[in-house]
Amino acid sequence: MSFIELSHIHKHFSGAVAVDDFNLNAEQGEFISFLGPSGCGKTTTLRMIAGFELPTRGKVTLAGQDMTFVPPNKRKVGMVFQSYALFPNMTVAENIGYGLKIAGKPKGEIKTRVDEMLALIHMENFLTRYPGQLSGGQQQRVALARALAFRPQALLLDEPLSALDAKIRVELRLEIRRIQQQLGITTVYVTHDQEEALSLSDRIVVMSQGRVEQIGTPYEIYKTPATEFVASFVGQLNLIPIKILNLTERQVQLNGYTINAGRLAEKFSPESPCLAVRPEEINPGKVEGHNNLQGIVESIHYLGSIVRLRVEVHGSHFLMDLFNDQKLAIPRVGDAYDFHFPVDACWLI
Amino acid sequence: MVKVMKIKFNFWGVFWAVAGMLYFFVPLYGTLDFSLRMVKGTISLKAYQLVLSDPAFLDSFRYSAIMGIITVLISLLIFLPTIYWVNLKLPQVRPVIEIITILPFIIPVIVYVFGMIRTFSQPPLQMTLYPFTTDILMVVGYIVLSMPYMYRAIDVGMRSIDVRTLTEAAQSLGSNWIQILLNVIIPNMRIAILSGALITFALVIGELILGDFLVRPALGPYMVEVGRDTAYQPAALAILSYALTWICLGLIQLGGRGGTSQQITGR
Repeated sequence: MSFIELSHIHKHFSGAVAVDDFNLNAEQGEFISFLGPSGCGKTTTLRMIAGFELPTRGKVTLAGQDMTFVPPNKRKVGMVFQSYALFPNMTVAENIGYGLKIAGKPKGEIKTRVDEMLALIHMENFLTRYPGQLSGGQQQRVALARALAFRPQALLLDEPLSALDAKIRVELRLEIRRIQQQLGITTVYVTHDQEEALSLSDRIVVMSQGRVEQIGTPYEIYKTPATEFVASFVGQLNLIPIKILNLTERQVQLNGYTINAGRLAEKFSPESPCLAVRPEEINPGKVEGHNNLQGIVESIHYLGSIVRLRVEVHGSHFLMDLFNDQKLAIPRVGDAYDFHFPVDACWLI
Repeated sequence: MVKVMKIKFNFWGVFWAVAGMLYFFVPLYGTLDFSLRMVKGTISLKAYQLVLSDPAFLDSFRYSAIMGIITVLISLLIFLPTIYWVNLKLPQVRPVIEIITILPFIIPVIVYVFGMIRTFSQPPLQMTLYPFTTDILMVVGYIVLSMPYMYRAIDVGMRSIDVRTLTEAAQSLGSNWIQILLNVIIPNMRIAILSGALITFALVIGELILGDFLVRPALGPYMVEVGRDTAYQPAALAILSYALTWICLGLIQLGGRGGTSQQITGR
């Protein structure tokens, strides 16, 4: 039996569909991310798990119990908000202990638990400070501790790192994952940042316009995207319109070149077929048995550890990501450029 | 080379500021000076002594103070949950409520009082017959008169905190509505509540028409009565009244300074 189960969840707002037939089974201890652009319905779905929104149709089950119409204060689900939502009138210790105080726990037990949580987030010296005296990263740690202190059955996080700068985001997401694995708590994490989703999750739910595009592990989502949306939203992707030569053999024509593709996408569209290949799969030179093409270098972008080339092949454009190491021979703009990619690295979508 | 900073002198700004201050403080100074000259040829506090030792003054002040406290408490009980709910669930209703709360500015108090007397001086709602029931009418009247101030003070306070997210955070931690209001919302609105409360209290203390027409021993009618028969005591009363209002405003400022360091939001 799944720990969190969302069955045929629909949510409409004044006629507009926010969530359309959402289905998910999350196991105990699993870390699930909802990934998608703004307005795709990921936060709305999270809020339905928390009880802040009622589904128009469908069922929300937590630990085997139907929670669809249970008020949020009775669900025992911890939540971390994008804006931290720490109570400004309470100290760090009071914020963390609030859920236990409401549950009527004795003062001694509250103090012990608060000390445990402060040790977990490495903020033992901050218990008498107020939220206004903390940095953004510190506030988010306290918010996390507060959501975990009362031993919830699940943890929900709504874009908790978006208000923080890049370096703190990376540190804190590792912290969140460490704590989640240490406690073994089932977690649902909403983000629009694919790097966060890929690095944190056991599974990712990619959403677009209220619908689930794909559910899978980070590897599956990245390597075998089911739809064009997933392929282009997660990571960089070359999507080149092609002409089908032999669909069974997955042989296509691209501006005079015959290309062999490794597979068909789960939701392949024959009306407007495209060849999909990740920029990091494309390498310079020619290799027998691979798909070999030649084009003209249009632009070169230095991205630190990566050098990104844009190569034009008779009107189609390929992005290539090359590691910026000592051996890299960077061409010049306008040079003729040979490149190749393995058959298994590309697919038809 | 030392750079000398040239301070720009805004003549008209200073002129109008000084003119405004003189317009306000000159009559006040005149009143204060008059109130101190009850004993010919010397400055004395005789007028203040007479006022403060008058049993009628103490009775009317006590009456108005008690009515003020009751008005503040009932106003808060009505407005706090209402404004909280409007901010949380019914923001579309806010324009309607704002129109209702400015009605006391538009409808003269005398019209309102006459309406009350006509409605509540005959069966089935005959409330003007007994002091206790008349006091109930007074409190209701004061609540309506102070509505614009109390509503605005609380609404501004409510809008300065993220009511929705704080509520949801408290709910996720197991709080019911009462616990949310008592533990999260009200403590973060201490200054706004204090502002509304003190302005309401000052309004009740100085109010005349309700007390006069409903024939209750409030401070306003006492001041009018004293003014009819004496000269110096009304001036002393006026200064005392101003002082009380400034004390209330000073308390608001003090409360505002003390709370700020703790009440910065957690964003």
